Amino acid sequence: MKLLEIKNLHAKIGDKPILRGINLCINAGEVHAIMGPNGSGKSTLCQVLGGREGFEVTEGSVTYDGKNLLELSTEERATAGLLLGFQHPVEIPGVKNIYLLKEALNAQRAARGLDEIDTFAFMKQVRELTKTMGMDDAFLHRGVNAGFSGGEKKRNEILQMLLLQPKLALLDETDSGLDIDALKVVSEGINMLRGADRGIVLVTHYQRLLSYVEPDFVHILYKGKIIKSGDKSLALQLEAEGYQDILEAAS
Amino acid sequence: MSRAPLPEWLVSTLDQQEPAAPGEIHTTARVQVVEWGLPTLRDEEWRWTNLRALTRPLPKPQQTATPEGSGLNAILPQAIFIRFAGGKLVECPGELPDGLRLTPLREADLDQRAAAFAPKAVTPNDALLALNTATAAEGLIIDIAANADIKPPIVLEFLDAPSETAAQTRVLVRCGPHSRATLIETATGADGVTSWRNSVLVAALAANSQLTHLSLGLDGDARLLTDRSFVTLARDARYRSINIQLGGQLVRREIDVNITDTGAHCDLFGLMMPRAKQVLDTHTRLTHGAAHTTSDERYQVIADESGRGIFKGRILVAQDAQKIEAYQSSRNLLLSDSAEIDTKPELEIYADDVKCSHGATIGRLDDEALYYLQSRGISTANARKLLIAGFAQEIVDLLVTPELVEWMGGIISRRLERQNAQ
Ligand SMILES: Nc1ncnc2c1ncn2[C@@H]1O[C@H](COP(=O)(O)OP(=O)(O)OP(=O)(O)O)[C@@H](O)[C@H]1O
Ligand SMILES: [Mg+2]
Repeated sequence: MKLLEIKNLHAKIGDKPILRGINLCINAGEVHAIMGPNGSGKSTLCQVLGGREGFEVTEGSVTYDGKNLLELSTEERATAGLLLGFQHPVEIPGVKNIYLLKEALNAQRAARGLDEIDTFAFMKQVRELTKTMGMDDAFLHRGVNAGFSGGEKKRNEILQMLLLQPKLALLDETDSGLDIDALKVVSEGINMLRGADRGIVLVTHYQRLLSYVEPDFVHILYKGKIIKSGDKSLALQLEAEGYQDILEAAS
Repeated sequence: MSRAPLPEWLVSTLDQQEPAAPGEIHTTARVQVVEWGLPTLRDEEWRWTNLRALTRPLPKPQQTATPEGSGLNAILPQAIFIRFAGGKLVECPGELPDGLRLTPLREADLDQRAAAFAPKAVTPNDALLALNTATAAEGLIIDIAANADIKPPIVLEFLDAPSETAAQTRVLVRCGPHSRATLIETATGADGVTSWRNSVLVAALAANSQLTHLSLGLDGDARLLTDRSFVTLARDARYRSINIQLGGQLVRREIDVNITDTGAHCDLFGLMMPRAKQVLDTHTRLTHGAAHTTSDERYQVIADESGRGIFKGRILVAQDAQKIEAYQSSRNLLLSDSAEIDTKPELEIYADDVKCSHGATIGRLDDEALYYLQSRGISTANARKLLIAGFAQEIVDLLVTPELVEWMGGIISRRLERQNAQ
């Protein structure tokens, strides 16, 4: 089943064209990795899919779960089961993590016609997740990402993902800045989501994540286009040889 | 100084009630209020706040029920509740913890009444203070004995109902040496019903005493409030003021704190959330009059719709007040194009060995944060509500107990929800 189908996607930020014809199809059950040098447009692709203002689609189409994704607002995309893990999660002092989690979960439930979750059941679920992610419960009562270390922010992204159980997770460099223990915890979290009816996109620079979360496909994004796709061996090849040869071969 | 003559209707009310201030204290104020008149926008201290609403007689009071109270009794069942309705003392408990004495001004003797007014009877060109001294008939003296630790908060509920004249109240708080107490003032009114209260509170904190003073302006979008607190701190005393104003047609609070001796500390925290056409204004004046004293001041305004928020924070460090530390911040959130926020720090430092810092910012809701919340499926309206409440929370979190923090957080959330629903 096709979960996400991107056809000839072009997008610009301000006057600057960034995405120049992306084609990508993700089926339920698949894990895709997107790699590519700095500035090639990986985060831009994620943000366009997330519906961020200021990122203008100039050509192409995106179909998500049978719907025209580009017509949906950011919150509609999220309640339809799309989750964006940010490369740089923002800090929101004052808004407690626990409030964010509860509002977000209730928004998902409302979209599915369910009542607000009972507080007791919610707390139980959240506490299990903090444990899974190796986070102290004190994090729940701190401002969203406020003063969190890089690794803590990324754990928090995965915690939100596990609570919201998205159909499609787009994780932008969730592995960057993690030490080896945190990488294991984050990878386990991602593997927990993996399943026959879900899709996962991992944007990463490093093979080491992909040895924990084995991708079905690896794509290389360069100057706003996917210039090469392959299986997990492509990531290994990149790790061994660097981008140079691949970029040259493609140009 | 720029003055408008005292409006006719106010002059005609000056002698309507038997004043509580005795003899000469009263007569002096009576003369000066007429002489000084009301401040105008040309007065530096009033340049952002227009008292035009007071130049005409207040709307005749209809047969309106007394407004509801703050609802705090459900949160703080053990607290000591004192209620003023339309400026009249209507409830004052007889049974009190050891070390606490309450004396209604109506029952006070001459000396006590003199004590309530003398410390702040008149200051030059201050008509509103003189008006209070000249006409206040009601009020309360709160005495906290030396070494007393009064655990239950003392709650003054002002049920601001309309009356022919302004509600003039005078409260004196005397904190004995080494004592500790919490005083909570609440103001509520019925929405759409105009009332005016011109109140004065004088607090004297003796050596090493502690007073936490909450002033919470809650319901009542047509309330007019001109309110003063004058606080003096003796050696090692600690005073914390938390001033939260959520509405009112015009609210002007002035908080004057005078740190007179070494080792004392003062916190001034405030949050004002004007909306509709409300004007919420606080002026603080903090004097570090002695060496080795410290202060921490944090004010926030969240202005929505056509609301106006005003904060002016003056800090004066006297010449021989060395080794003081004074910190002030004013952080503000402007939510609409027709809202307005005026903020002004004013530091006057005459000593040379001091640490003073201040900063003021006015910002909008953070788009990145909004997008982040939306990307979690939270609707734009709810995301805004979370961010606004989150900003307010930084001050709300400073309220003394978890019960109060939760209660106030709830009031603010419900208010934002109501606004969303409109
Ligand atoms: N808000 C913005 N305004 C203008 N240009 C932007 C903006 N965001 C990104 N860009 C530009 O778009 C291009 C692609 O950036 P993008 O962040 O998508 O790259 P990336 O592949 O995620 O890189 P990295 O691996 O460093 O995260 C870059 O040239 C970048 O400078
Ligand atoms: Mg990136």
